[in-house]
Order: sequence, then C-alpha cells, then structure tokens
Amino acid sequence: MPTESFLARFAEKVQRTPDSTALSLRDRVVTYRQLSELAKVASDRLREYELSISDPLCVAGNKSPELLAMLLACFGAGRRVLLPPAGLGRTALLRLCERAGCRRLVTVTGGPSGRGTASLTPVGPATPGGRRTPLTPQDSGRPGLMLATSGSTGPPKIVPLDGPGVDRFIAWAAGQFGIGPGATVLSYAPLCFDLSLLDVWTSLASGAAVLVVAEDGATDGRRLLDLAATATVVQGVPMLFRLLADAAAAPGPHWSLPAVRHAVFTGDAMPSGLLGAVRRLMPRAELYNLYGCTETNDSFLHRIDGAAAELAGLDEPPPIGRPIPGVTAAVLGAGGTVLAGEATGELVVRTPFQSRGYLDPELDRGRFCPAPAGLPAGRYYRTGDVVHRDADGLVRLLGRADSQVKVRGVRVNTQEVEAVIVQHREVLEAAVVALPDELGGHRLHAAVRRRPGAALGGLQLRQHCAALLVRTAIPTSIELVEEPLPRTSTGKIDRNRIRLSWLKGKVPCPR
Amino acid sequence: MSAVNDIKRFIVAEFAPDSTVEALDGDFDLFDSGVVDSLGLLRLIAWVGARYRIPVEEIELVPDDFRTVDAIRAFVEGAARSAVG
Repeated sequence: MPTESFLARFAEKVQRTPDSTALSLRDRVVTYRQLSELAKVASDRLREYELSISDPLCVAGNKSPELLAMLLACFGAGRRVLLPPAGLGRTALLRLCERAGCRRLVTVTGGPSGRGTASLTPVGPATPGGRRTPLTPQDSGRPGLMLATSGSTGPPKIVPLDGPGVDRFIAWAAGQFGIGPGATVLSYAPLCFDLSLLDVWTSLASGAAVLVVAEDGATDGRRLLDLAATATVVQGVPMLFRLLADAAAAPGPHWSLPAVRHAVFTGDAMPSGLLGAVRRLMPRAELYNLYGCTETNDSFLHRIDGAAAELAGLDEPPPIGRPIPGVTAAVLGAGGTVLAGEATGELVVRTPFQSRGYLDPELDRGRFCPAPAGLPAGRYYRTGDVVHRDADGLVRLLGRADSQVKVRGVRVNTQEVEAVIVQHREVLEAAVVALPDELGGHRLHAAVRRRPGAALGGLQLRQHCAALLVRTAIPTSIELVEEPLPRTSTGKIDRNRIRLSWLKGKVPCPR
Repeated sequence: MSAVNDIKRFIVAEFAPDSTVEALDGDFDLFDSGVVDSLGLLRLIAWVGARYRIPVEEIELVPDDFRTVDAIRAFVEGAARSAVG
C-alpha cells in the first residue's frame, strides 16, 4: 500500500523476521527478505524506464510475487499506480489507462518458477474513445493506489484509495480477523479487487503469510482444498466456498480444514444452503458475512452462529448484520429521507476507510453525497443496494436498486452490456438478462436481433464484446433472432419475458 | 482433419450453441472471446482427455494448449506421438 505507515510496517517485518514466509505460490515460497529483494529488482527496472514521477503508472499482470514486488517498488518510490481489472480487453485497458492519466503501462508476469518479466507499453495520446480526466492539482503526483470498479464496461469508474483510510482499514482488519505473525491468509480474489486490501496488504503489513491462488487454479476445488489446508483466514466470494465444499464432499477421504479460524464470505449473497457444509468443513472457524464495495471498503459485518445442522436448515441468506465500528449507516426511503426503526430502502454509508470520490468528480453525482438530513455531517456513499433493517437493527440485503448483478463475484451492469452489443453495426436491438447460476451467482444471457440477412454469429458477437468488456460481462449464452424482441405494453423491451422463455427451455415468445 | 471437426463440434455444442461449426475458425481465441472461461477450460480438458485417451492429470498442461481449436489439435497430436514414442 502506498502509505508511509504500510511501508514502515513492511520494512519492520523484513528486518525483524526476514526468514518468515511472506508469500507462497504453489511450491514457491517467498520470505519477507526475498520479497523485499524482488522489490529492489523492480525498483531498478522502474529507474531504467526513466518515468516522470508525476505520471501515474498502470501496472498489469498475473498474480505473482513479481507483480506484488513491482507494486511495492512503486509504493516505495511514492508513485501513483492504477491496478486495472483482470481480463480487461486491450482497447478497454488502454482507454482506462488514458482516463487515469497513465502514459505508460507496465505488464509484469511471474509465477511458481520464479522467472519474471516486465515490459513497458506507451499509452497513445489518442486511443479512440479515450478521454483523459484532468487530475486535480492535489492529486497529480500524489502517491496512491487507484482501483477500478469491477463494473462491466467502459468506462469502469476509477477509485483512488486514500492513504489514511487504507491505514485505518489495515488496523481494523488485522484486529478483527487475527492477521499477524503466525497467521496464514488465503488470497483468492484478483489483486485488483478491494478484497486484496485484506488478504494481501493487511497480511504484508502484519507479518502474516499470504497463500496466493493464481488465476489458473481458481476453479479447481480439489487443488483449492489442498492449498487451504494451512490457511487460518479464508476470505472470498461464495463461489470459493462452494468449490471447497463440493470438492470436500466428493467421494474419497473425509476433508476438513481445522486450521481455519476465520472464514469470511463477501462480494455476493451467501446461499443459505452452503452454510452448513462450510461449518462442517471448517469446524473451528468463526463464520462471517462481510459487506462492502470498492468505494467505501467494508461497512457491515455479521458473525454467523449456529451448528452445522441448524445452519443447513436456514432458508434465506445470512444478513449483512450491523455497521462496523466507526461506520455510519442509514436506510433511505423514497425521496432520500432517512428512515427510522424497521425499514426497507437504499443503504447509504460513511466509513472510516472510504475514498474521497471517483477520479472523475462528475461521476460522484448521485453516489457520493453530503449527509442526508438527520445524519452526522460528512460525505456519504449511496450503495445502490436495497436492504431491510429489522426492529433490532439487523440488516439484510434484498437486491440492487438498478440493473447491476454479480457474475462470479464481479459487478456487471446488464444495461452497459446491452449498450456494447447494440454498438455492433449488424445489431438492431438487444436485451441482456441475468439468469441464476448455481456456481457463479448469475450468468448473462443476451437476446439479440440482427439486421435481416446479416451474417453475424454468436462467436463474432463475443469477440466484439471482448474488445470492450471484462470477460465476466461477455454473455454466456446468446440467442440471435431476426424478429423484433418482445415488448411490454409501454413499449419497453420485455426482459422478464425473455428471461422466462429462456429459463423454460426457449419457448418462442408469443406476440 | 476429423479431429478438428470433432473438437469444433464439442465446443459449439457445449459453449456456443448459438453458433455453427463452420463459423468457428481454427485460430479463433476461445479465451479472449469469453467462449471458454476457467470453469469451461476444466470441462474442455476433461473432454479432450476422455475423447482422445490422454492422461491429462499426469501431463503438465498450459492453458495456451487449449486457446484455439488448432492449438488443441496440436496438443492432441503431440500427446499421441509421445504415447507412441
């Protein structure tokens, strides 16, 4: 993390416990001293590039000690860094760089073999569709880490993380989940997710060991089980726990992960049916449901009590619980009024960890807002999530206020995917709907009306999407038709009918 | 050549039923296009292993071997050669 406090804490671990494990990636173990040496190598590389310190740098690559070392080198040099979403199409990546003010892109590859490479790519000043956000004077040249919201399309919103907020988050997370010397923390999320603030950066600031799950091993449940055997802290999207529980339930030896002390579900609603299986798999763990977003980091936490049998009998997802200490939260009714007591409405939060706003201040409108009447002064964030708070103050997530859904832990806006498909010149209209998916939460289905006689096929359409979207936003199934899409009585595309007809086995929609 | 059609048929049926075997070029990037995701890759590897009797769990696999139909064909042929030799 690009904060003095993080760098000082990391340097202290390097000096005091140089031989303890900082990272492991398959068979490769990297100690704190070795990670610090890798960061020195990366620093030398950065100097060779002769970059202006006032220019932010985009650092992309696979999840590896080499990439982490490059980030440490940037933080140490006081350099501002953009970590782009993984799997972003090339054009979208260059546009993102440009909007973040990055003139250079460094791509780092590394892996279990210990051989790493880094390459520098200039970002053209005139990437089609790119628009540079002028940095405010207090931002340019200021060290910091910029993440992009995992939103589906261009433009993902760039969120600069604030140093003091990151320091407060690291202090909270380390205390809450026992992250310190002797702890081993599974890092499942991609580095560009805010989840990494907990599993990677809090660990490295605290002397814990990080078990890195590389991208190519992320869906192999059996391998994940092997890897998680020594973890004391496991944080991840429900899909991770599904993969672990399914692999453990497969025929063969009985699996258990008794070392896990803290199991943290986050990023999506935890299916209630999974809780009992996780309790059996991790018998000594505290189970938590953790809620947050990139803009504010975590804001709600719920500890899930109960024995396996009791949990297995629950028929609704666990609540997100109550605000984390220091968080102010409210439920807004129609018109933005703060509701008291038992209420249903949009969740608005203010956290000690939050960003000051998007890099492009124009995007703040409707999201970052002044305190609604009746709340302590300050800057608040409208989450776009609809919640129910019961009479005891326990909060449950009901859904999104807009068309955002989660696909394999990544927030995707179906309207933005539609907008990209419709850009194709052989497409007349398109509707993208989210269908429930056992493993990924949701998968996307697109109904696309092409021009009469057009040769457009599903493969070409996926390629078109791939250039402009993150991979998770590329529809899993595509239905190409020549007739108009079904419409409601008010003339809007009838997405419910498209969803239902596809779920019922592609029955043609009556018109 | 029949292996190529075989592989194409499986990919279209399994991952892109909205398309046709003819539309799937040998060098079409299955990963970048989102046709095969990481879960799909496991299914694809399992199918290749079963279909061509390749002990995939004993071989060092790299995802690039499955990136295109041509790459899969080359992988299958290479595995057949090493089994013979």
